[in-house]
Amino acid sequence: MPEPRNQNRESAVNEPVVAAAPRIGVFLVQADEEPRAGVDVTALAQYAAQLPGVAVARTIAATPIANIEKLAAEIRKAGLNAIVVAGEHPGFYKPAFAHAMALAGMDGSAVRLASFAERSGPMSNACAQAIVAYAVRGVPYAPEAKAASNRSFNAATMVIGGGIAGIQAALEIAESGNKVYLVERSGTIGGRMAMFDKTFPTLDCAACILTPKMVAVGQNPNIELLVLSEVQEVSGSFGQFKVKVLKHATRVDATACVACGDCARFCPVTTASEFDMGIASRKGIFIPFPQAVPNTYMIDPEYCTWVLSEGKKCGACAKKCSKGAVHLDAKDEFVDLEVGNIIVATGYDTLDAHRVERYGYGTYPNVLTSLEFERLTNASGPTGGKITMKVKKLNKKTKAEEWVFEPDGPKPKAVAIVHCVGSRDRNYNAYCSRVCCMYSLKFAHLVREKLPEAKCYEYYIDMRAFGKGYEEFHERIREEGVSLVRGRTASVVDRDGQLYIHGEDTIAEHLITVPVDMVILSVGLQPSHGAGELARQLGIARDDDGWFRELNYNAEPNSTEREGIYVAGVCQGPKDIPDTVAQASAAAAHALRSIVRHKADVSARQTTPENAGVPARS
Amino acid sequence: MAVRANPDLIDELQHFGAKDAIKCYQCGNCSAACSHSEDPYVFPRKSMRYLQMGLEKPLRSALDPWLCYYCGKCSEQCPRGAEPGETMMGVRRWLTSQYDFTGISRLLYRSWGSELAAIIVVALLTGAGFLSFGLLGGGGNLAVYDGPGAFLPPHAIHVFDWTMGALLGLLLSINCLRMWQFTMHGEHAVPVPFSLYVRHLLLLPLHFFTQKRFRHCEDKTPWTNHLILMFSYLTMLTLIMVFLKEMQSGPKVNWYAHSFGYLSAIGLVATSIFAIRGRLKKDAAYHRHSHESDWMFLGLLLFVSITGIIQHVLHRAGLPMAANITYIVHLMGVVPMLALEVPFSKWSHLAYRPLAIYFAQLQQAAQAQGIRPSGRLAKLNPVA
Repeated sequence: MPEPRNQNRESAVNEPVVAAAPRIGVFLVQADEEPRAGVDVTALAQYAAQLPGVAVARTIAATPIANIEKLAAEIRKAGLNAIVVAGEHPGFYKPAFAHAMALAGMDGSAVRLASFAERSGPMSNACAQAIVAYAVRGVPYAPEAKAASNRSFNAATMVIGGGIAGIQAALEIAESGNKVYLVERSGTIGGRMAMFDKTFPTLDCAACILTPKMVAVGQNPNIELLVLSEVQEVSGSFGQFKVKVLKHATRVDATACVACGDCARFCPVTTASEFDMGIASRKGIFIPFPQAVPNTYMIDPEYCTWVLSEGKKCGACAKKCSKGAVHLDAKDEFVDLEVGNIIVATGYDTLDAHRVERYGYGTYPNVLTSLEFERLTNASGPTGGKITMKVKKLNKKTKAEEWVFEPDGPKPKAVAIVHCVGSRDRNYNAYCSRVCCMYSLKFAHLVREKLPEAKCYEYYIDMRAFGKGYEEFHERIREEGVSLVRGRTASVVDRDGQLYIHGEDTIAEHLITVPVDMVILSVGLQPSHGAGELARQLGIARDDDGWFRELNYNAEPNSTEREGIYVAGVCQGPKDIPDTVAQASAAAAHALRSIVRHKADVSARQTTPENAGVPARS
Repeated sequence: MAVRANPDLIDELQHFGAKDAIKCYQCGNCSAACSHSEDPYVFPRKSMRYLQMGLEKPLRSALDPWLCYYCGKCSEQCPRGAEPGETMMGVRRWLTSQYDFTGISRLLYRSWGSELAAIIVVALLTGAGFLSFGLLGGGGNLAVYDGPGAFLPPHAIHVFDWTMGALLGLLLSINCLRMWQFTMHGEHAVPVPFSLYVRHLLLLPLHFFTQKRFRHCEDKTPWTNHLILMFSYLTMLTLIMVFLKEMQSGPKVNWYAHSFGYLSAIGLVATSIFAIRGRLKKDAAYHRHSHESDWMFLGLLLFVSITGIIQHVLHRAGLPMAANITYIVHLMGVVPMLALEVPFSKWSHLAYRPLAIYFAQLQQAAQAQGIRPSGRLAKLNPVA
């Protein structure tokens, strides 16, 4: 019997989910004392009665509704399928109306509120009418609602910077169903957090938290990822920014590359890996790290023999690629984006440790910066996560001796960690970088954990353990047998191949000189290079230290002076990962607020008495 | 028993040039950067702490400030701009005023107006005194510079300068005694047996003449300048106090005496110009801050050197009257400079510095002999 089945199916499809004809009951609370001048409730009822879809409009007394059955009978009799309760605090009556609707066999959730109290400032009849009309149409009332403008609004958002802040903001927006362009300067998203081994104070594996988010970005159809890309020009204004992005050629077809690594095996060029902070090497055609997103090889034109010889030499990668994915002659291109909102999440650089000459960074091989140590102790680093000292090795190509990390290199017997390198120092950066105390304690833990025999010294000025669980973390590390010295290190010197670290223990009031094998400089944070140029392009301000300036330190830490441009993460000021993630979500909320409101405006504009239905409430 | 704090100490020290000590956050970088600082004399951070906490007594009994030569490395590296080097300089000025029993030093350091007034008064008195002496008791003829009948005969000048030397020496000695009292009987001090005083006595001339500790500073220029200035000064002093007759005989140049004079004159002018230029250009950390007393001292030094040279030139050029007038003007600089600087101000450090090194050595030697501190605090806290 195919026919009845067909009929059944058709009727099932055609059956309306929501009752087609809205029959709305508007109930206006008649306050005993008129709380606001200018609201005539009786006139308001007359106004409401002529709104499209309104079946009943009357006032109710400002007393608790005693007889719910009577109300249900009224609803049933008028055939109401939606209710609007209007008044100063209409929420008080909502349970009663919901109950009555349910008793009448209708949807109990179809009770909408029109609250006058939510509207701050002077109240007028017109305003009250607008609030009621919005509620009748099922549209959230916007206090700033103006006459419908034809100004176009682009719901897409651009996120600048693909670190944890950019990733979080992009995911928040994309998962709400809106378009995101994620513009990242390097070859992969992940940013600084991808370099970390552990997070403080929980000692979680950083990659285990970050990589799922990175993968989610790569897989989200609403996110268009632009790596090796830099913002060149920004014009327009909130709702309709026009952005010109320079997209450097990766010279590898992302759709064809399967990241097999054949190209890199045959690439004759070797250089320092940026991702490993220079303590490991990579090829001229490379992938920043195995979990990179997009997981595609790319060519570094600064070192590529083919590029440098203008196509005359080499080209091994293109020849060896079985997928034919390498296109050495690919050109950089400009991409024009149109977006409504921009979220800036450009993060930070660490201070150049060479500047603090007295610590000997760059002179003594085993004086490392904090990010170098992160890579050293990371399982994906050059030693597989073993903490070893650099050894001298002959570079076969350049015939020069180099200091390199080897997995089987000698283990340090004593490690010193120097806090506040270039921070809290008016000669460098006068501000506190906020994360160094905690990451230094984390390093101390890693040293003690991986090298239980090694001594570990921390030279600090003040231990700033301000966050949740930080003080406990500090106590824990102290109990693990790390020597905490209160005093700033004045110098690191090398005497007969042995490093000595010299400082005053300001509690014991003694000068101490300690022989150590490795020194970790806890360098401070400073704005990412190019932040000034980006601020000029975006037309946003920076503070004295170079961080992007927020609109209001306390109340608007996400917004900038330009509407539609928000900041998230360290680019606004030093902060740790939880704060960065929270701020990124908040920035996404700012963008989404404008997107949602715009969509509501559009639907309000499109609602005419003819097509006014009761929008389904989600 | 608690240590009494004087909360106004840091404000008081502002008048002495320690203006930025309040900024210090006690990181200890300065102490570790200093090439002189070593246990148990760890400075300058500790002095900064005393200042911030208003610990007047421990600060007064401290030897540390005199062990600092102000190379300025601490100030260069200071993360807070607390100027530990200048703070130590300020503390030395304050200590000078504390050692001085007359209270004149404190008055001169705290108010540049009083210092200027004192200089002018002493200068005018000197000028009037020598002029009237020359007219009434001396040669009586302003047109005679040397030989018999000289307006200001060398033997008369000698009577004056030896008297003045004895008086200033006495004042300075009393101040040195007070320094000894404060520092060697301070709260952490160790009682030093007399034999040790004798055994280490040679330290005093050694450090006085060589200033060899100054050489530990990374920058050797200040040490060189300091040494040149001091030797020029001492040479000139010796020439005037002992060989004035030979110096003023003429018109022929007595090379055996005058060559020393020329050398030291060059030394005095060159080093004072170098210092004035450095302070004006603020070319180094130790020249960044200048107390009024520094300018007065350098100004007087340059004035005295130049008037001395002019007087000599005028004499050799056969202009005795002009030479005599310049001579009096020269003395109007010399007398206030010595009278005010030697016991009460800058020059006194020539005595205090070697003494401090000597005392510090004595303390350490006594401790090495197992003698325990006997001060009030030490009794309360025998381990410390």
